[in-house]
Amino acid sequence: MAAPTTLLRRVLFNLFAWFVVLLIAFPLLWMILTSLKPQSELFLIPPTFFPGEITFEHYKRLLVETPFLTYMKNSLWLAGATTAVVIVIGTLGAHSLVRFSYPGRERLARIVLFTYLLPSVVLIIPLYLLMIQVGLANTLTSLVIAYTTFALPYALWLLRSFMAAIPVDLEAAALVDGASRMQAFFDVILPQALPGIISTALFTAILAWNEYLYALVLVNSDEARPLTTGVMNILITSFNIEWSLLMAASVMMSVPLIIVFMFLQRFLTSGFGAGAVKG
Amino acid sequence: MGEIILDKVSKHFKKIVAVDALDLVIDEGEFVSILGPSGCGKTTLLRMLAGLEQPSDGRISIAGRVVNNVPPSKRDIAMVFQTYALYPHMTVAGNIEYPLKKRRIAKDERKRRVQEAAELLELGELLTRKPRELSGGQQQRVALGRAMVRNPAVFLLDEPLSNLDAKLRAHMRAELIRLHQRIGRTMVYVTHDQLEAMTMSQRIAVIRSGRLQQFAPPADIYEKPTNAFVAGFIGTPSMNFIDGQISGEGAAAVFRSGDWSLQLNGLPLKEIDSTRNVRIGIRPEDFEFNDDSDACSARVVVVEPTGHESIVFLDLQGHEVVARVAADFRLRPDDVVTLAPRVRKIHVFSANDGSRLNRDDS
Repeated sequence: MAAPTTLLRRVLFNLFAWFVVLLIAFPLLWMILTSLKPQSELFLIPPTFFPGEITFEHYKRLLVETPFLTYMKNSLWLAGATTAVVIVIGTLGAHSLVRFSYPGRERLARIVLFTYLLPSVVLIIPLYLLMIQVGLANTLTSLVIAYTTFALPYALWLLRSFMAAIPVDLEAAALVDGASRMQAFFDVILPQALPGIISTALFTAILAWNEYLYALVLVNSDEARPLTTGVMNILITSFNIEWSLLMAASVMMSVPLIIVFMFLQRFLTSGFGAGAVKG
Repeated sequence: MGEIILDKVSKHFKKIVAVDALDLVIDEGEFVSILGPSGCGKTTLLRMLAGLEQPSDGRISIAGRVVNNVPPSKRDIAMVFQTYALYPHMTVAGNIEYPLKKRRIAKDERKRRVQEAAELLELGELLTRKPRELSGGQQQRVALGRAMVRNPAVFLLDEPLSNLDAKLRAHMRAELIRLHQRIGRTMVYVTHDQLEAMTMSQRIAVIRSGRLQQFAPPADIYEKPTNAFVAGFIGTPSMNFIDGQISGEGAAAVFRSGDWSLQLNGLPLKEIDSTRNVRIGIRPEDFEFNDDSDACSARVVVVEPTGHESIVFLDLQGHEVVARVAADFRLRPDDVVTLAPRVRKIHVFSANDGSRLNRDDS
């Protein structure tokens, strides 16, 4: 049996932990609850915590009457494509920065970090003009390119520390065992870097999923709008904010991320650990 | 098929010279150790043999073919790394099988050869395990298995035993010798441990600062070290060195250092330069404790019994020397003994460049 003081301490600790959890989870909970309330219940005073009557009408309206699904499709595509581009280039680039020796290697790595110092606002207009010139204005591709510009440097640095943690001998062993450079990379390096790659991919995907500023400026047609700007566009006007629809949209926007997190959580934490050792 | 020729091979890293115009010919089927202190360039040398580093200069041939521009995978070599470098995500079987896979050997044949290697190295039970579930010794055997499974012309071993505990190391030494006898392949073994080099190799290449000092069978390295560095590097405890001058010629030659003098009794020597400055070397076992006329008195400083023998540190006329004596020869600190070096076993080196001045042909 635990002594009374340790018991008390545990109880207090648990209470505190739950308090923090509730504090952080409350907005999310409120979001879900609000999305399920009928319009009439939204502005009741005093407010109801649990909906008096559960309704899915807002979800239905969102899916049927608005281009929400198009936005969702765009966002998924954007996040997927950006992640794919960033991970392919980032992984190979990080490997090169860590393993090969060529003049200016370290400098290159540092210059890449410099791109971070520029506020994105500064880059938006030039990028927009550039996109018009190359005929990509108002397309999802233009957004993929824009997102890559800020996600890649960051991914490169993250992956670099993961790659640096992989023993050089492993690759050397593969080369001696008869593998070509590419084979050694795929057979040995990639499986070792996988936790790092997955967490980097996850960060990139979230970055692309939540991005707002570039999407606002570079794209202004419904066909190419992602969720962030799209939802703002249909639900928030100068005259009115459709709170219940907004909450329903927010819930649905979170679902893909939650699913991805659920599957990749294991890699994410192990990735953090691996990066921390040598990062 | 497994002959290795190094022809004036050099390797520079920016301004650092890791390997300096090294010539070496290793015979087919020979077990050769590359021995030297840490940072002497021995691992760089091995990595050049493997193709993991490009020589800055010179030519490397393996099995009669210049391999300077041949990638590691095409050199018909296998390498065992100090860290073992087992693929963590593959099972033991997967690790051993990997080189065969890369050579597109049929599945049945692969299976058979993995089995064969596993039996030879007593890994049968462990084939489905992952490397991290194995002990150091087992990992070491897997690394060996991965190297031998495809039957390469040359084995390169980079300090493969240095991560094992002392007992296991002794065991693996014997295993490696047996393995070499069995498969008869050329093996190049890099180590900084002279015991490993002495016990296992047919010839030892002693390297210092990227330069080859001596390349000879272990006995020759021990008995006829080519310079003071090799003499001091090989042997535990290491050789005693005393600086002084030689006066007189032939049978009348006498070595003097301070108050201490030693008749060289016609020890055959090469020409000594005009300064007559030399450094003599005496192995710890080459002292005799007796009352000869040549003997001189020395005071015991420290005695280290090791069981079958004792290591004795003595003050010999102001020079600290180490002697190895039988365990039943009881000595205590501050005992005064008379001891004489066995003159025939004395090594004489030039004080100038450390080169050996003994004439070994007579």
